[in-house]
Amino acid sequence: MEEQIAELTAKIAELEASSGWATTIAVESFYWWCTGLMVIIHAGFLAYEMGASRKKNVLASGIKNILAFAFIIPTFFFIGWWIYLAFPGGLVPDFEAGAGGVPWSAAMGPNLADNATGIFWAAFALFAATTASIFSGAVIERIRLSAFLILAITLGSVVWILAASWAWHGDGWLLTQFGWHDFGAAGCVHMVAGFFALGVLINLGPRIGKYNADGSANDLSPHNLPLAVLGLMLIIVGFFGFLGGCIIYNGTDQWTTIFGNPATLSAIAFNTLMCFAGGIIAAWVLTRDPFWMMSGALAGIFGAAPGLDLYYPPLAFLLGIGGATAAVFGARFIEKVLRVDDAVGAVAVHGIAGLFGVVAFGLFASGYPNIGDAPDTSLIGQLVGAAAMFAVGFLPGYLLSLLLKVLGVLRIPESAEVIGMDIAKVPVSAYPEGTEAAMPA
Amino acid sequence: MGSPITTWDSVEAYFTGFGGATTMIVFLLAVAVTAGAIYLGHRHEEEAYSKLKEK
Repeated sequence: MEEQIAELTAKIAELEASSGWATTIAVESFYWWCTGLMVIIHAGFLAYEMGASRKKNVLASGIKNILAFAFIIPTFFFIGWWIYLAFPGGLVPDFEAGAGGVPWSAAMGPNLADNATGIFWAAFALFAATTASIFSGAVIERIRLSAFLILAITLGSVVWILAASWAWHGDGWLLTQFGWHDFGAAGCVHMVAGFFALGVLINLGPRIGKYNADGSANDLSPHNLPLAVLGLMLIIVGFFGFLGGCIIYNGTDQWTTIFGNPATLSAIAFNTLMCFAGGIIAAWVLTRDPFWMMSGALAGIFGAAPGLDLYYPPLAFLLGIGGATAAVFGARFIEKVLRVDDAVGAVAVHGIAGLFGVVAFGLFASGYPNIGDAPDTSLIGQLVGAAAMFAVGFLPGYLLSLLLKVLGVLRIPESAEVIGMDIAKVPVSAYPEGTEAAMPA
Repeated sequence: MGSPITTWDSVEAYFTGFGGATTMIVFLLAVAVTAGAIYLGHRHEEEAYSKLKEK
């Protein structure tokens, strides 16, 4: 009998060990594939930014977009992960908490005792690259590449991740002091990137020919609208990886959000598809323009992103409509009233729709309990967070681009803008002989 | 650089050079190359736009 019990105990121990290992592999695999899907976001941004450019700038826009991705990855390794771990309390770093994120620490490389850091770092690096790509589209056709890279690195490897430390971290001060909730990063990714872009656009100025002497705006048509629309759809595909990366899978009996409350992928599936559809329908009704229909899909997701884990699906649908409506009217306001030339509507789609989503959560989802001592979700918490996200996005974008402008290195010379950046500095041409004449300049 | 371990038993961090001074040297080199690439991009732009002005 004792022998049988001992044998059974050994078998149970063996089973437990193998189940623990299977869980570790499953956690790693889940985030690995989320990260892979997020790369599709960048395929989408590349297509949409090149499509939205005029023919004379198409390759320069592509180069800029690809380099944003490339420079974010190492710089996010150099400093980004440390910022995320060290700054949840505000602007004063916690060196002890940040120790695991310094780039020479044991966690920041191959380590058989750590299956988590690399895979989470990778997902966050892709979020960082997303913020840089959001900004990239807004400033096409007149920004200097080197100035853009400095700004993109600042946004992707410093600014957004500081915001994420405050607003997307289990110990972030917005959660612990105000009960902030933002499942899908409408604040730290979309508001921050959108309003960072606005700050830069104010100093960068409009493209030549965008505005007439009386202040009215001209339409500088994309050279390949179908490519831009396809790119936007690819961004949506990639967003399923992005949203997968927003949920925590730690091998316990239930998923949690980054704020610690339990959640299910089913909830995210219901609400993501509903707000996506609402965004398209609203933009179609308001514009009849396929570019804006797909931009509306994105804005719809951001309009409901903070509560994708909590909303009743028809409410997510309505918030998708609200997000897209805010983006469409916001873009018109930015173009016609503020006279800011945002080539792809990034400020409206990401900044304004993200703001709508953050505030809407406070209106429709207050009173949910948080884990531990953090206060319940509330409108006040969302408003405080919205103000913080606006400030942490807009101010660095405005101030750094102002400095670059004063130094005379923000914008390309007028002659290059007129002739086109591809001819001015790209050693190859986008289209073979004979096809260019058929396209708009 | 090279291997910081002599056996796979009870290994934790095992990336090349871990625990030695070369890790920091390689890190600083990577930072310098990244910054240098941006500088080279800036110089290329300056040259390209200068040539355009001369035309």
